[in-house]
Amino acid sequence: MTESGAQLFARLEARRSLKDIETRLFPEDGGPDQGEVVELYGPEGTGKTELLYHLLCRCVLPVASGGLEVDVVFVDTDYSLDMLRLVSILDSRLNAARSTGSPSAGSDEALLRHCLSRLLVVHCSSSSQLLLTLHFLETSLSSRPGLALLLIDSISAFYWQDRCEGGASIAKQEERLSKCAELLGRLLRDYRITVFATCHAIRRSYSGPSSSSSSTSSTSSEYDRPYLCRPWQRLVNHRLLCSRQEAAHNMAATAGGSREQRRRRVFTARCTSSRTKASRSSSFCVTDGGVEFM
Amino acid sequence: MVVLRAEMCPGLDEDLVKDLRAADIKTVEDLVSSDTEEVAQRCSVSYKALFAIRRVLLAQHTAFPVSGADLYEELLSSTAILSSGSPSLDKLLDSGFYTGEITELSGGPGSGKSQVCFGVAVHISLHLKQSVIFIDTTGGLTAKRLLQMLQTETSNREEQMEALQRIHVFQLFDVFSLLDCLYSLRAGRLQQASVGGGGGSVKAVIVDSVSAVISPLLGAKHNEGMSLMIQVAGVLKTMAKDFNVAAVVTNHVTRGDGGEVQPGLGASWSHIPRTRVLMEKLDRTSVVSHSSLRSATLIKSSRQVTHSPARHGAQSGSCQRSEHKARLQTSVGSERPAECRLQHKHLDSAEPKRFRQVSLLCSTCGER
Repeated sequence: MTESGAQLFARLEARRSLKDIETRLFPEDGGPDQGEVVELYGPEGTGKTELLYHLLCRCVLPVASGGLEVDVVFVDTDYSLDMLRLVSILDSRLNAARSTGSPSAGSDEALLRHCLSRLLVVHCSSSSQLLLTLHFLETSLSSRPGLALLLIDSISAFYWQDRCEGGASIAKQEERLSKCAELLGRLLRDYRITVFATCHAIRRSYSGPSSSSSSTSSTSSEYDRPYLCRPWQRLVNHRLLCSRQEAAHNMAATAGGSREQRRRRVFTARCTSSRTKASRSSSFCVTDGGVEFM
Repeated sequence: MVVLRAEMCPGLDEDLVKDLRAADIKTVEDLVSSDTEEVAQRCSVSYKALFAIRRVLLAQHTAFPVSGADLYEELLSSTAILSSGSPSLDKLLDSGFYTGEITELSGGPGSGKSQVCFGVAVHISLHLKQSVIFIDTTGGLTAKRLLQMLQTETSNREEQMEALQRIHVFQLFDVFSLLDCLYSLRAGRLQQASVGGGGGSVKAVIVDSVSAVISPLLGAKHNEGMSLMIQVAGVLKTMAKDFNVAAVVTNHVTRGDGGEVQPGLGASWSHIPRTRVLMEKLDRTSVVSHSSLRSATLIKSSRQVTHSPARHGAQSGSCQRSEHKARLQTSVGSERPAECRLQHKHLDSAEPKRFRQVSLLCSTCGER
């Protein structure tokens, strides 16, 4: 396969490392290196997508506002990207930077749009489309040297569909995601990008009424086990286990009518890296202006 | 999965498809994932031709990347916030149901889910003059009740009839007919519905209830049921986004291990709706005969910070609603794109929204 000089340059010229994308999330000096994959794993409402917004904002914001000025691709398989939410987070970050730092040039709107133009969004509705889209993204990667981050929300979106369509053989069930993982592995090697992907926790035990989800506290071990195909598991370098504190508690408060009042929900992301075996827990809460670490 | 066929793109003829099939390349994915050079040799076609075919097929079947700025622009011009007809519920939902996403109302029997759905349908058809698709899977929808609600809004017989014309009702009782209906709506019947009955484009698709058809499928060995559930979710999501309609679904509730009330359909479904509202009946506080107080709590939202619900906060934000009468922003705001942005600016500066819970007074006298 031939490539032009510009393509070669874009491919080989070092993309920006995202090791410092969010130091509060990863163990000391253990941020995601180029070509590494971070998996955010957790049940619904544990701040996975919110964390992605946080990282996304950090990447697309101008350096003057504390950003990294790199291009980002957001692969939305859950149709969960809420542009309005993203814009309000970006807005608050820009405002915060403006109030502390020097007055930046250009109006808010123009600056905002400029930030948003660093973002590419793809919506995928099936695992085969995801595979084809990853192939197609290769052209974007080779033509945009500024592109350093790929976000996938979520990698597990088509799990059940694939399970059913694959019939009885496990290999067939996992075929497409394996192919996606292999391709992703190649893209990571060739283009040295960083990938963050969310993965929903599913309930796999067949005990008890299956139509009800269970509280996080009693069955946490059951929730934590990885279930996606082996090629994907091998690809993951860092795993962030997301959880929400007092979640079960809150629900109980709703049902039981207790008068207990909690103003904020505290989210925790526990990071374990396969390379260094180091781990770190970080807590944050979600405010109108996005993720705030504590 | 797209099977390779002749004439799918220029250069791909009958013979080549046969050759490719012999080389175990049957689908577009196979062709795209395989090594072009190797395949060219095995099928004795020119590398250039095969490369061109691969590129065209890829472009045809991929999801196209859109710039964030363009997406935002598009969203601002196309997003509509549909008022639910109840000011307190609107407040809870950050001014109403947003098009382009799925909103879930969950609650036990008699918690007012269906009544809210009827109210929304009536409000959209009568006041916003837009069409509504109402998919009824429980047989709970009666034209009489809709008319009754309309009659409290307007005494003009013609207006009532026009509004009823704009509510398209489908009564389906299993998941396959639901999927069938949703797919055909997505394939173009949605626009037909817009052109047909009484004008106004379809702005909302209401499924009452989605759990009634899905929960029977979720058994011990629930692969197939899960897959069907995710399919329903998928078609709803794509329809909401592509046609810019608000999808409203209702769900039942179960009790978790700790005895707490939570929406049904399990962990995999919990990721599907972008906004979830838990509705409850407040038994103790029945105010008037035939009426009882219902509370609605926001338990998931992608836009608002959901704080832990505090029970005593319920009354502070309460607003009585009888016979769906109180309400209506005077600006019949079906399309309010410009305000979206303002809304969010407002959200940042507004006082911390601590109690995302309101009470609704939902009359049931109409049921009798």
